[in-house]
Amino acid sequence: MKLFTKYNRINITATIIIFLAGSVAFYFVLDYVLIRQLDASLRSEKQEITEYIQLHQQLPEIQNTKEQWIQITKASQPISNSITKTIPAYNKSENEREYIRQLIFMVTVNKENYLVAVNKSETETDELLKLIIPLTLSMVALILLFNYLINRRLITSIWQPFYNTINNIKDYAANQQSLTLSKEPIDEINLLNESLNKMTEQIHKDFYALRSFTENASHEMQTPLAIIRTKVESLYQLAEGKEIMMQQLLSIEDACLKLSKLHQSLLLLTKLENKQFILNELIQLKSILEQKCEERTELLESKHIKLQIDAANFEIHFHQHLAEILISNLLNNAIRYTAIGGTISISLYQKQLIVSNTGTTGSLDLDKVFTRFYKASDTGTGLGLSIIKEICTSAGFSISYVYEKNMHHFIIGFQA
Amino acid sequence: MKLLIVEDEYSLRHSMIEFLTSSSYLCESCSNYQDALEKIELYDYDCIILDIMLPGGSGLDLLKNLKQNNKTDGIIIISAKGELGDKINGIEMGADDYLAKPFHLSELAVRVAAIIRRKKFQGKSNLIIGNISIDIQGKRVTIENKELDLTQKEYQLLIYLAINKNRVLSKNAIAQHLWGDDMDFPDNYDFIYAHIKNLRKKIVAAGSEDCIRSIYGEGYKMQIA
Repeated sequence: MKLFTKYNRINITATIIIFLAGSVAFYFVLDYVLIRQLDASLRSEKQEITEYIQLHQQLPEIQNTKEQWIQITKASQPISNSITKTIPAYNKSENEREYIRQLIFMVTVNKENYLVAVNKSETETDELLKLIIPLTLSMVALILLFNYLINRRLITSIWQPFYNTINNIKDYAANQQSLTLSKEPIDEINLLNESLNKMTEQIHKDFYALRSFTENASHEMQTPLAIIRTKVESLYQLAEGKEIMMQQLLSIEDACLKLSKLHQSLLLLTKLENKQFILNELIQLKSILEQKCEERTELLESKHIKLQIDAANFEIHFHQHLAEILISNLLNNAIRYTAIGGTISISLYQKQLIVSNTGTTGSLDLDKVFTRFYKASDTGTGLGLSIIKEICTSAGFSISYVYEKNMHHFIIGFQA
Repeated sequence: MKLLIVEDEYSLRHSMIEFLTSSSYLCESCSNYQDALEKIELYDYDCIILDIMLPGGSGLDLLKNLKQNNKTDGIIIISAKGELGDKINGIEMGADDYLAKPFHLSELAVRVAAIIRRKKFQGKSNLIIGNISIDIQGKRVTIENKELDLTQKEYQLLIYLAINKNRVLSKNAIAQHLWGDDMDFPDNYDFIYAHIKNLRKKIVAAGSEDCIRSIYGEGYKMQIA
């Protein structure tokens, strides 16, 4: 929900509640005040009548009007206090029901008791009250409308720098330049921008420090490895006629090879985690797949592995080098774990790539299969599958592993 | 053939000098940017083996300098930063080849030979090993005018052995040369043995002596007197 929407919701609800409560209270207060006014005029009428009777010892002549009329009847029994009440009545001239306010009191003329009822119509009061409701409602509507308009104007202009900042940081990636958000007149936003500037600058520095560290570490490690390897190669020339020496040199060379592969793999994983690859090249996976299979023909033949490929031709947004690594690793993995005479089948479609191979070991450990240094046998670096997983993650592909009918299936979904 | 080896690491530099000298190249070397710059400005080389990270500067700057002065020396970059970006950079800047550390010296020898052949003889030279004649441009191999029918891999293997003649080459080095290093090889290299066996058969059948020797099955050597 947008800030403005949220703010408006609260604002409008609160305003409506306040105005409704206010209107109800206003109605009752006004009703009370108007009735009291009516009562006061009824009492002054009573006063006049009483004073008249005291002065003249006879009943006054009654002049009824539409708003006020007086009825005098002989009292069957005396009442001590005067009574004020609201009673419904029927107005013949207006042909409608209405309420009247009545004051009944007793007067004594020539020792005779009379009941005097002074009536006043409440119509005017009612009409006044009826007027108040639409008035209040239209007031509420008007206030809400203006409130909304003013707020919208105000919020969008006041919060604009905030939205600018958000837009800037939304697409920020660690490998790009630090942000330079502008100075703003509002303190809070200015503080936010300054903090973000500082933060991204630090992130940027750290990112490059880490990156150059991994690169330099790689350099420093590959050089001694290169020395070992070249020295071993020179020693081969002296090993003729000495089988044990030859074998041992080969072991050293193997270890060297493995170490440098391991290092390259870790470096690649770090780079994938740092999101140093931009995956925007259009790639034909089919041709890469065919090429990588072609390279492995002899290897497959030597293990008598049957290879079935079923591939569709399509293009996908990916990264050439990563695509090659992905396919190579999947193939290497499949070849390594397929026993002599086994089968590898690959199906590549727009939706997914499935690499399946016959397995002898049963299902791999589902929880660990993509974990670094997890190995089902003692060959390989144990990083192949975690590299596959990292590449899939950074490309937004899904990857899963299933063991079914004595086959290992690695399934990569391109539209994860 | 005169080579310049620019590499700051003493041991590696000396291994390369030793190896390439025994392949009858004339090797000069230097270990830092300044020395290298002086040498490339003063002399011409058939091939320069160039490390990127050097004390005093970058090998890529040396490359730029060479290109600006329209020098035609062949250049092969050897770098520990096995980065794809570096490789592309180097090739785009005019290097002829790129080899990531660690590498096999025998592989370096093949690459250097290829560059020199391309630069010096416009690819027209024939490689003659014993009575085997290899026409690099036409990709034809003849023994006493009899043409050998070799597969792509057998041909690559023959050139590799021929350039590194009289030298023991390990199974690792051969496998990496033929299949690159993104493959992982099973512990037995039977499939290499199969290629060697086929190549030997074809050479012998063409009337040459069996010049490829197996060193306990761990390595191979082309022995030419």
